[in-house]
Amino acid sequence: MEQRPSGDIFDSCDEFARTLAEVDVGGMLAETASAVSAGTRASFLRRCLGAAAGVGALLTATDAEAAIAATKNDVAILQFDLVLEYLQAGLYTEAERLDALTPSTLAWARVVGAHERAHVRAIKSLLGRKTVPSPGFDYGNVTSNEQAFIKTAVAFEDLTAALLKWQAPRLDSRSILAAVVTLHSVETRHAAWIRHIVGLEPATTAFDKPASQRKMAELIDSTHFVASKPRVARKAQPPYSG
Amino acid sequence: MPKGRTVLAFGLALAFVGTATAVHGTAGHGRSTNSASSASRALLAAAGGLPSPERPAFVVGSPTRLRKGETSARFAPVMREIEARRRPSRSAGRVAELARETPEGTTNIVLVLAATTREDGQWVRVRLPVLPNGQTGWVPRRVLGGYQFVHTRLVVDRDRSTATLFSDGHTVFHAAVGIGRPESPTPRGDFYIREKLSGFGNPFYGPVAYGTSARSAVLTDWPGGGFIGIHGTNEPQLIPGRISHGCIRMRNDDILRLSRLMPVGTPLTIE
Repeated sequence: MEQRPSGDIFDSCDEFARTLAEVDVGGMLAETASAVSAGTRASFLRRCLGAAAGVGALLTATDAEAAIAATKNDVAILQFDLVLEYLQAGLYTEAERLDALTPSTLAWARVVGAHERAHVRAIKSLLGRKTVPSPGFDYGNVTSNEQAFIKTAVAFEDLTAALLKWQAPRLDSRSILAAVVTLHSVETRHAAWIRHIVGLEPATTAFDKPASQRKMAELIDSTHFVASKPRVARKAQPPYSG
Repeated sequence: MPKGRTVLAFGLALAFVGTATAVHGTAGHGRSTNSASSASRALLAAAGGLPSPERPAFVVGSPTRLRKGETSARFAPVMREIEARRRPSRSAGRVAELARETPEGTTNIVLVLAATTREDGQWVRVRLPVLPNGQTGWVPRRVLGGYQFVHTRLVVDRDRSTATLFSDGHTVFHAAVGIGRPESPTPRGDFYIREKLSGFGNPFYGPVAYGTSARSAVLTDWPGGGFIGIHGTNEPQLIPGRISHGCIRMRNDDILRLSRLMPVGTPLTIE
């Protein structure tokens, strides 16, 4: 089998860290952080890092009926991508539903959101029983604040393209690689499009750098978008008036 | 490569080379047709040696648009104890205090009705589970967790003793219900579904019970504060009718059916 690149050689993504740092205009995202369970974020990070290491902590030995005959490494990469697609689809769907952005940004969110939801559906169908459920998300007021939304979108689209570049040479299956590159080009188009809307240069370099799953997980963690789901159902005696 | 596909590929390549040569000629680059052709032939020769492409493991389908005619309401969990205010300002009058949890140990959620941005950040107007019924108040957005959206709405008609669930405006459930007696009426107004309880083993409430933000205006000293529930019953023969202490009772097969269709956070109108 062809040797996969080692994990550390592409780990330098300060550029992406800076992009994401720009997102937190006036501490809006930091404001959101206080409302999020640290435990949930930590478990998300562990899950992502587990996937990055090829551990596949979410895999079980009983997953014999998976929709694909993928290696644990490939399943772990796809599970990571699925969580990222959930995160993006959730962001754009919420923005569309709240309807608080300018028409041009909303039009972008509507198109890109439809793409990300299609990505979720495709990856889930490929993973079959090895799919992972969506975590809860808390985007704070990013989905109703034009500037915060645009900067978040630029960062996520740039980073997703960079992540897929990092993952591609690490995939064992050529057929999964062939599928993932169809996502990659769309993500780069999203990135260029939103950059154009906000007046940024769509293509700043002749060659793009990859960003590792570890870096991606850390950067997602820094946004505090991943939150615990409210516990709205339980086994308990009703106290209602009857 | 199958013969037919080879012929097609060769034909397309020739068409490309022909177009490229024409473009070169029009642009007046001064390069000879012969050299362009030999370069193109080299490209074609190199392309011929490639293996067949791998079939992708998945193909992303059409973009998934939100449903046409989608209706939605949003709710959010209370992440920090907070006093809801009459206006979006810390100095405005207090309406009610919101806790993080309900007495039943579920996350306290509020239905979000509106939002506005002030100098100190975003504020949202929420429906409150307090007496008198129907009150709303403003809280800073940052004390709430992530929004969740529901596409359902439950309408209870007291005069007809019915409950109807709509999903994106379409009726998906309709059943007879029992409502409050005249001395302990089911309150009218706009509320929301707050929690869902099950596994309690009490036949009086049936198999499933929903908690709502509505409260009895007369049974205020009831344990838990007299919240109005929607639940099953061990006396189905009494339905429909004015039979309860204010709760909305359904036959057990109806509440089980409803429990598969109605998520927590669903707006509730009692008319």
